[in-house]
Amino acid sequence: MTLLRAEGLTRHYPLPRTRVLGPRPRLTAIEDASFTISAGETLGVVGESGSGKSTLARLVMAFEKPDAGSVAFDGKDLHSLSRPDLRRLRPEFQMIFQDPYGSLDPRRRVGWSLGEPLRAMGTDEGRKIADSLVQVGLHAEDATKFPHEFSGGQRQRIAIARAIITRPQLLVADEAVSALDVSVRAQILNLLMDLQEELGLAMLFISHDMAVVAALCDTLMVLKSGNVLEQGNAAAILNAPQHEYTQSLLTAAGTP
Amino acid sequence: MIELDTLSVTFAAGSALRDISLKIAPGDRLGIVGESGSGKSLLASCLMGMAPDAATLSGTLTIDGVDMSDADEETWRPLRARRVAMIFQEPMSALNPLRRVGDTVAEPLRLHFGLSRDEAAKRVAELFAEVDLPNPERRARMFPHELSGGQRQRVLIALALACDPALLIADEPTTALDANVALQVTDLLVDLSEKRGMALVLISHDLASVARSTERVAVMYGGDIVERGGTDDVLHAPQHPYTQGLLAARPDPQAALRDEQGKRKRLPTIPGNVPPLSGLAQGCRFAGRCALERPDCATARPVPHGPRMLLCPVVEGAA
Ligand SMILES: Nc1ncnc2c1ncn2[C@@H]1O[C@H](COP(=O)(O)OP(=O)(O)OP(=O)(O)O)[C@@H](O)[C@H]1O
Ligand code: SF4
Ligand SMILES: [Mg+2]
Repeated sequence: MTLLRAEGLTRHYPLPRTRVLGPRPRLTAIEDASFTISAGETLGVVGESGSGKSTLARLVMAFEKPDAGSVAFDGKDLHSLSRPDLRRLRPEFQMIFQDPYGSLDPRRRVGWSLGEPLRAMGTDEGRKIADSLVQVGLHAEDATKFPHEFSGGQRQRIAIARAIITRPQLLVADEAVSALDVSVRAQILNLLMDLQEELGLAMLFISHDMAVVAALCDTLMVLKSGNVLEQGNAAAILNAPQHEYTQSLLTAAGTP
Repeated sequence: MIELDTLSVTFAAGSALRDISLKIAPGDRLGIVGESGSGKSLLASCLMGMAPDAATLSGTLTIDGVDMSDADEETWRPLRARRVAMIFQEPMSALNPLRRVGDTVAEPLRLHFGLSRDEAAKRVAELFAEVDLPNPERRARMFPHELSGGQRQRVLIALALACDPALLIADEPTTALDANVALQVTDLLVDLSEKRGMALVLISHDLASVARSTERVAVMYGGDIVERGGTDDVLHAPQHPYTQGLLAARPDPQAALRDEQGKRKRLPTIPGNVPPLSGLAQGCRFAGRCALERPDCATARPVPHGPRMLLCPVVEGAA
């Protein structure tokens, strides 16, 4: 069943004028991207920095509006919902950010940060906070600790716990494992696969690492300078990339 | 030639480097890999004579036959830059945002070599060309924010090269860069090392780039070098249980991704997490996470053995 449907997503950012009277040049952050993600399925998005990956994530999360195109989540057009309706729907789609340090308040105990999305829903917290910590391989007692008491890999788990605490149907992960050690990264990727099977999560997984994408994703979209170069079945693209650019990403991820 | 002999570094919380011995000859290319917190950056700062104040050091460090173990800042300063230079993970934070990058690179040239303004500018252009920055003269007049991440890292490499160092230490030089750009920067480092006969120490958690660019590799865990040998040998036939676990944890693009039931296959992992310094075992640091562990592993300190250096009495040595 299709959970997320994006059609013709386009977003331009205005650049400073080069001539006083000339037209204002525009940067194409993303141009005409269309895709669907079903429950339990993962779409990988790859491309180098500036290729539009994070813009795509912000549009899907309805953090900003597209210039053209639409995002339908569970049949509802996210960008035409009223603010209160959007707020009510938010617990259903959550994001794991690239930098878990930035998304956790250093002065607050981890349990407080974890409870934040729940308080926004107005529900009871304690049990769920403990459960979510256990689910990501940490301990219920960890809720009383501060972010600096954890290693980078553990903080990334906390960021994931925070994203899944509302039992979302969709998870958007933007370079969520890129900064991690190889061994910690494997633990986190396995955790995401577990959650996907247990909760039927749909995922939009953004990464520049093709090997990681291969391990996790069902479908794949390759972006370059805001344009979709190729998209489709992940295994098919990885086995026979149609573009030299895709091939170069694969080479860069080459195994020793 | 730089030589470390049983270098140890201890903090209040515990010992962060234990008996590290290493030789780095001119033109050598050595990779250092290992878990976050295993002591890679600390080792690099010792090679630069910049160990943190809170650290207690023992063992010896010699540079070109001179014992630097107790050298003060006065003795180190001229050696740094000329003998050992370093580049870091985040090029932006190492550059002054208000200064043209050419001026930043010119400074040590004027300071250490007494070059005039014009001579220094000419040398900067040569260095920028050497690190493959397009339009060297124009780039030199730019500010850091006008350059891409990869170009900023090239500027820092040019800065590191300014004083013709015998050894360049690169600590996670490409972590902040895209895969393609990262590849170009690592290839550039290898190129420079070959052309200049400059030794290179590449610290990275990217095993593929270490495989591509170094001849020898040292694997670190909990402040120990647990395995050391030829890069190809170690990465293709790892012997130490930690190295084996580390390599197995990489996703293998060639492997089947699903099992018979059509479920996604999980990646092999090393159980548990790296304990904090204060929680590391006194014997083998890997005890508690190792599949081959024996009863005395946690208490008996392993002795390095084998032609390929191995720090585990349980596994046989190999070349
Ligand atoms: N100034 C300091 N005071 C106390 N402990 C320190 C200090 N500097 C480093 N350490 C400790 O020494 C150990 C080694 O740290 P180091 O930064 O060398 O790790 P690393 O291998 O470079 O890790 P990463 O891959 O995350 O960069 C860590 O346990 C760290 O907490
Ligand atoms: S010494 Fe023991 S615990 Fe350490 S790596 Fe060898 S077998 Fe494992
Ligand atoms: Mg480090």
